[in-house]
Amino acid sequence: MTVPFADRQLSRRDLLRWGAAAGAFVSVATLATACAGPTGLPGPGTLTLALNRSLVSLDNKLNQFDAAVTVQRAVRQALTEIGPNITPRLVLADRFELTAPTEWTVHLREGIRYSDGTPVTVEDVSTALRMYSQVQGGFVSSFFPEFPTVRKIDDRTFTLDTQKPLPVLDALMANILITPAAANKPAELQTGVGSGPYVVTKFNRGAGTYSLRRNENYWGTPAGVERVEVQFLSEESSRVIALRSGQVDVIDSITPDSATQLSGLPGITIDHASALRMNQIFFNFRQPAGHPLADPRVRQALTMAVDGDSLVHDVLVNSVVQADSVVPPSMKGYVKTGEYVYDPDQARSQLKALGAENLTMRIIWETGEFAGDASIMEALAEMFGKVGVKTTLLQFEPGGDIATWRQGKGGEWDLLGNGFGGPTGQAINMLQGMYAGTAEKESTRDTYQGYVQPAVAALIAQASSEPDPVARQAYLTQAQQAAWNTWPCAWQFVPKSILARRTRVEGLRLDDSNSYPLAAVHLES
Amino acid sequence: MVYVLKRLGQGLLTVFLTVSVVFILIRLAPGDPAVAYAGPLATSAELAKVRTQFGLDQPVLVQYGTFLKELVTGNLGTSYSFQAPALQVVLERLPFTLTLAFASILLAALVSIPLGVWMARRTDTKKELGVNVVSIAGQSMPDFWIGILLLSLFAIVFPILPASGFATWAGLILPTVTIAILQVALISRLVRREMATNFASPYLTIARSRGVSERTLTWKYAMGNSAIPVFTALGTRFAAMLNGVVVVEVVFGWPGVGSLIVRALSTRDYPLIQATVLVTAVLAVAVQLLVDLAYPLLDPRVRLGKANAS
Repeated sequence: MTVPFADRQLSRRDLLRWGAAAGAFVSVATLATACAGPTGLPGPGTLTLALNRSLVSLDNKLNQFDAAVTVQRAVRQALTEIGPNITPRLVLADRFELTAPTEWTVHLREGIRYSDGTPVTVEDVSTALRMYSQVQGGFVSSFFPEFPTVRKIDDRTFTLDTQKPLPVLDALMANILITPAAANKPAELQTGVGSGPYVVTKFNRGAGTYSLRRNENYWGTPAGVERVEVQFLSEESSRVIALRSGQVDVIDSITPDSATQLSGLPGITIDHASALRMNQIFFNFRQPAGHPLADPRVRQALTMAVDGDSLVHDVLVNSVVQADSVVPPSMKGYVKTGEYVYDPDQARSQLKALGAENLTMRIIWETGEFAGDASIMEALAEMFGKVGVKTTLLQFEPGGDIATWRQGKGGEWDLLGNGFGGPTGQAINMLQGMYAGTAEKESTRDTYQGYVQPAVAALIAQASSEPDPVARQAYLTQAQQAAWNTWPCAWQFVPKSILARRTRVEGLRLDDSNSYPLAAVHLES
Repeated sequence: MVYVLKRLGQGLLTVFLTVSVVFILIRLAPGDPAVAYAGPLATSAELAKVRTQFGLDQPVLVQYGTFLKELVTGNLGTSYSFQAPALQVVLERLPFTLTLAFASILLAALVSIPLGVWMARRTDTKKELGVNVVSIAGQSMPDFWIGILLLSLFAIVFPILPASGFATWAGLILPTVTIAILQVALISRLVRREMATNFASPYLTIARSRGVSERTLTWKYAMGNSAIPVFTALGTRFAAMLNGVVVVEVVFGWPGVGSLIVRALSTRDYPLIQATVLVTAVLAVAVQLLVDLAYPLLDPRVRLGKANAS
């Protein structure tokens, strides 16, 4: 007798049989789908970028790393941008002029509108500045000594007023991305429209992936590529493989090792640019009076123990240049102030003469602070050892406690491996960040490794408030020279930004800011 | 039902203890979320504001109390780095991890069970020894190395598969195979051991003498008795994968929970760490519970909540 299906008991055997069948079906179906589908190669009208950090949003109030600038500014724009040679260039404004020591007059470009067709207004600018100033711990706000206030003159004209002269405001405003006032908040925006050449069609914030489409309402020259896919691949070897396989068109911020591996491969081009970043082996300026390192002559002697050329050529395979100032040469306002001389005999005799021949030092740094960090530190320890200085190394993992140590609250240290970026491209901002320490700031440990040199700080203060460009440059020159003369670093070097791309990607111009205008990129037909 | 409720209670306790221990431990670990959030150049005053904003200026016990209170309502806080609800960020990534874990365990089961049976039927032969050596080698190889090897082979030398991400289903193949290689090595040897023990049992000898076919002996009798340990091992491995297969996710740019927690730890993103731990702990406990509940289906002698019949 046939048992009706509904009346049948599900036996253990049935369960296993059905389970195995379902499993086999799912596996085969998955495999078949996979093999039948595309291999992930970008289409002819799609540009695929792989970033080394996850792009959490297309706003920059809290976070802004180099590669993010490229994508963020393809969607949202500022009044100005940092153009070639670190010169502020007009974007949403067609006039941005210093009309009084504490007043800039700005005129919005005619016909500018967001991707939804609404116009960019003076209120949007005013709101944006207010929102950036209100966000706690914001990345951009740290570059503004004060936020300007907006005074509307007419529908497209306004002034930006400050309490004190802010002569580099046109460069600083390149970091203020404009969003419709009603949609702006004192936090990093996750959604919303922009005025840039691309619009976001899809994103997964958790995965760091963004799909961009050409903005058909763009007020300027339309973007050269119809679609852009942005991926996040944290592991550099994976990004290199993705580029080699053709799955990805552009990878940026790569290490010299990867550049060496990729250079010469068919279908791949490497681009270099000088970075707006200074990597340093910075002395601890919180040593008490009488400590050998509190004496600039001892610090100078130690610089002579460092074979910078070997570090550049052998350890960093020419991916950096040795510094000859306290700011990178691509910075606006840079001047050459000296150079590092390798003379271990002189270093040894000078240390002996100063009673510092038995010096011991501890170098601290955080993993990944710059490419080749551990190799550099090991080489430095060996070089210092050759002049009789014993060195211990202490490496911190990212997210660890190095910030406490830097403030002198974690333990004793003598040298810090550190990188300092200057995304505004202005030497003055970098000098303010590192060398403008005061006794007041030091009372809360808010100076840069305890660096308090009143004469240097005074020159920086004069430069920062001097509206006349010639006089400002004169102060900047003096400030850089004065800072250099204090021998703040055992060694400094300027990294090069390195980008690798498929040769089908054309029109890409890597700027010193380690970003590039995405709208200018086009794909080989 | 009583057993299920009891196990659910145990599971809840496990999850509670896990999130509580993690809550305390991450606050004892070095590092300051305020510095990670505001950057190394933030002033002391700015850092203090950030700490106040995040409630980090409160004593740990107060923070813990607030956390538990919010936990009841399903609010695990706002991720510092994503500026979005932490639970939402984790749930956005969870499907990727579930997909990878499911595909990997399925592939591992489909390969390792027949392989283990094959080895058990050829115990102490040269062929079995050879396969054993290969499986031990598979178990010994680091997954990142296998991943890079597969990537080089199938994304560059023979560019037939995507190198990273999950833009298409083809992107699932390489990470799945990478994870499955290790699982196959582990589970096939377990299957081999269980099956070999059963093959040597008197009940099989008697069944064989009564003319029961080798196929029935293998797949019904021996496998039936080996099912529980094998199923338990598969369940345990699957639960472990739900915590994220960190290295494989990083190598293949897989946007799963594993790579998320690496990021959360490096930025000391407390709400995100807690949300990740909570979600993965709940899932792991649920999988283990399902495995336990499946025992009576696999072996009718098993009665949940009672001493097993021998």
